[in-house]
Amino acid sequence: MKIFFSMLLLFSLSFASDATIEVIKKVDSLPSIAVEDASVSYDESFKMKFFKTLIADLNVLSILNVDRYYRKNNFDASNVLVENKDFNYVLRYKMFQGDGGSLNVQMIVLQDNKQVFGKSYKVSNTDIHVFVSHAMAYDLNEFMGESSVEWMKKKVIFIRMTAPKRSEIIIADYTLAYTHVIVKGGFNIFPKWADKGQTGFYYTSLDSQKPTLMYVDIKTASKKKVISSDGMLVCSDVSADSKTLLLTMAPDGQPDIYSYNVDSKKSKKITNYKGIDVNGQFMDNNKIAFVSERMGYPNIFSANVNGSNVEQLVYYGNSNSSCSANGEYLVYKARESSSAFSGNTFNLHLISTKTDSIRRLTASGVNEFPRFSKDGDAVIYIKNYQAQSSIGIIRLNHNRNFLFPLNSGRIQSMDW
Amino acid sequence: MKNVILSGVVATLLVFSGCADKEPVVDNSDLNKQAVQEVVESAPVADNSSMMTEDMIRAALEKELATVYFAFDKYDVAGENKNKVSNDASILSSKASAYAIKLEGNCDEWGSDEYNIALGLKRADSVKKALVSEGVSESRISMVSYGESNPTCTDKTQDCWSQNRRVDFKLLP
Repeated sequence: MKIFFSMLLLFSLSFASDATIEVIKKVDSLPSIAVEDASVSYDESFKMKFFKTLIADLNVLSILNVDRYYRKNNFDASNVLVENKDFNYVLRYKMFQGDGGSLNVQMIVLQDNKQVFGKSYKVSNTDIHVFVSHAMAYDLNEFMGESSVEWMKKKVIFIRMTAPKRSEIIIADYTLAYTHVIVKGGFNIFPKWADKGQTGFYYTSLDSQKPTLMYVDIKTASKKKVISSDGMLVCSDVSADSKTLLLTMAPDGQPDIYSYNVDSKKSKKITNYKGIDVNGQFMDNNKIAFVSERMGYPNIFSANVNGSNVEQLVYYGNSNSSCSANGEYLVYKARESSSAFSGNTFNLHLISTKTDSIRRLTASGVNEFPRFSKDGDAVIYIKNYQAQSSIGIIRLNHNRNFLFPLNSGRIQSMDW
Repeated sequence: MKNVILSGVVATLLVFSGCADKEPVVDNSDLNKQAVQEVVESAPVADNSSMMTEDMIRAALEKELATVYFAFDKYDVAGENKNKVSNDASILSSKASAYAIKLEGNCDEWGSDEYNIALGLKRADSVKKALVSEGVSESRISMVSYGESNPTCTDKTQDCWSQNRRVDFKLLP
């Protein structure tokens, strides 16, 4: 019997780290948390705005059962509010205005009326308050000892179409609550962060005679041409050391995947098929994943970085036209119907190169442009419903999806 | 009997050769007349619009070039598209021969990923190959794909989507 249990334990442990297995946690079994506002500065509407942002962030953590009621208490009160006494944790925070209009936030976490955690934050103005909220949630998650949500502090970069052949490049927080137009005007598509630190990004400009890859240094607000190609040019992926790009180029009207060395400025053709090869992604073991129609319909394949040893990676879906890779994992978009006459459904699926299981991540609608977070903890994607675009976040290890709508315009593409 | 047959054959040949001789001459003269008339007719128009800019002339020529439409998820030039491209090629080789050609590939709204951009490009490439086979010089042609980002129609209908799966012609100086 003992042996049986230890084998069962071993079995469940060995699968616990596989993200393709769905984890179903009952919300009831999560520890509960209430939030108390002890702010002294700012009007009621801003206080409420900050509270709602924080509640949303705590929910996205997916490790707590978060109380949604807004309640006030003194920051120094020794006991939590009577209404909150049965909660496992109480998060109490105080916002106050500092010199030059800066926003300061003090946070403490109480358990049985005792402080178990505390931290202070400061930003230059209230417009960027969402980043304080994201940092508070990030730190609480760290304190609780859960797997890192580093992505919560990262910025999203995306293209908003403003008119046919007109777009702008926007940098936002992951909830789209804060947005900043970084490149206005022109016809630009496919933005891609150039490095882990998000200090610069690439994008494709379609304004000149040939599609041209541009690089923008965010700090100096300077931009420069990287390379151009007739037909199409997209920066599909950037290597972990930021030195190698995977580009799709079509110098002879033939879309193929190339690697491009940032230092030597030299490119090398990787794929060589007369149809469509696009969307190269770096994977484990010097391999790349990419989308190809070499079997008559778009599907996901892998190859060595030199282009040899092409293998089919995905065996499910009629038409799999987009993918994102992270280590052994691959998330791809599958068309579930093939109708030229009515609506189509596109769902995202997750596979591992080490197992045969497939996990469907979305249930309905048009879900596309999946992108892993750098740590592989979450997948961000675009959901288009009628004329509105939203950004979706899937917490892989918690089996939860969150949607954040964009106020106006359609998102063409994005990176995280 | 042999003679009768032979003379019959000769007569037939004569009749046919007579027809063959006459028709081309008549047709040619008609064509020539029409061509002359066209030039005469268009001359005053050209004079009146001496203010017509280079851009306007180019835009007018662009309008004559028929946009090529494609089936869902397809990029081959087939069926009636062949005649369309053939007609476009003859315009590009005659009236529009002074211009470089930019082929712009477009797709419907089903997808904003790289594959869609590539699909638009392959559509442009199919049209390019068809034009080259009709004698248009390859060096005059450049291509770009806008994917789903340049719709001419934004309704959520089948008709609308099919209008967006297309290759447009742009003339460059």
